[in-house]
Amino acid sequence: MADVDLSQSKGKQKHGGKKKRKRINVRIDMTPMVDVAFLLLTFFMLTTSMSKPQTMEINLPPSDTKADVAESNLLTLRITEDFRVFWNVGTEKPVTVDGANKKERLINLGKLLKERSRANPKLITLIKVDGKAKYIDMVDVMDELNINDISRFSLAPMEDKDKKEIGTL
Amino acid sequence: MSKSKRVGFKLDMTPMVDVGFLLLTFFMLSTTFKPQDVAEVSIPVSHSAFKLPDIDVMTVTVDKEGNVFLGVDNQNLRGALFGPQYVLKAGVEVTLQELPELLRNARIRNPKLRTVIKADRESEYKVIQSVMETLQKENITRFNLVTDLEK
Repeated sequence: MADVDLSQSKGKQKHGGKKKRKRINVRIDMTPMVDVAFLLLTFFMLTTSMSKPQTMEINLPPSDTKADVAESNLLTLRITEDFRVFWNVGTEKPVTVDGANKKERLINLGKLLKERSRANPKLITLIKVDGKAKYIDMVDVMDELNINDISRFSLAPMEDKDKKEIGTL
Repeated sequence: MSKSKRVGFKLDMTPMVDVGFLLLTFFMLSTTFKPQDVAEVSIPVSHSAFKLPDIDVMTVTVDKEGNVFLGVDNQNLRGALFGPQYVLKAGVEVTLQELPELLRNARIRNPKLRTVIKADRESEYKVIQSVMETLQKENITRFNLVTDLEK
């Protein structure tokens, strides 16, 4: 600011005689620039997605390891195409989980799993889902396990003998 | 009768504009433009609140019809894996036969890659099962399923 003042006074001294030479007051209208800036700001604010998608973590054993599990510690869940849930421990006969629709069955399944894992903390759950079932079915079952804090589970393919056992073949 | 004088009112906008530009700079720098999704996928909901990592993610996408796509988040890796024409695409359609080799190559180039499966809720479990078996055979035993948080 001081510089400006100085040059101004110098100028006045130099061109003392010419009174017509006036210093033009330059004023730039900043409004359009600010308008554009706020437009961009709004654009970036709206396009930024701050939230990352949620995920569910699965740990599967490597395919070459074989774990021996006592029969009494193995709970097998079999999910059919139309979301009927069969469960059994060891080599018992599979029993269905009650419920008129998927939601009820899931809730009942949750209760059952909770009860079973409390009775036997060493319990390992094996989930077998029919190939024709939907992906959401498997996610729902795994979610139910997660909710009930059952982290010891594994996934296995549903084979023909499983289908025979639950009577869908 | 006294004349009521109109008061000249001037507001200094400078601080507001300053803050505006500050925010603008912040949003411009923090935005990362995502490449368009490879396929339309409506992801299932769950109660899991585990967040997806920011970088080093390899995504196996399965759409409703059971088509499988593979994508990595890093552009250079994408170019090295699939060829330069795919640098700007999020993923490439692959067959289940090609998948093991691509997974292996990707993990050789970047061992820190985390694998996630992003599948449509309506897709057949059979496809997901084969994808998971492939991962398991490639010794990727820890992976994530992308889900939405259930409210």
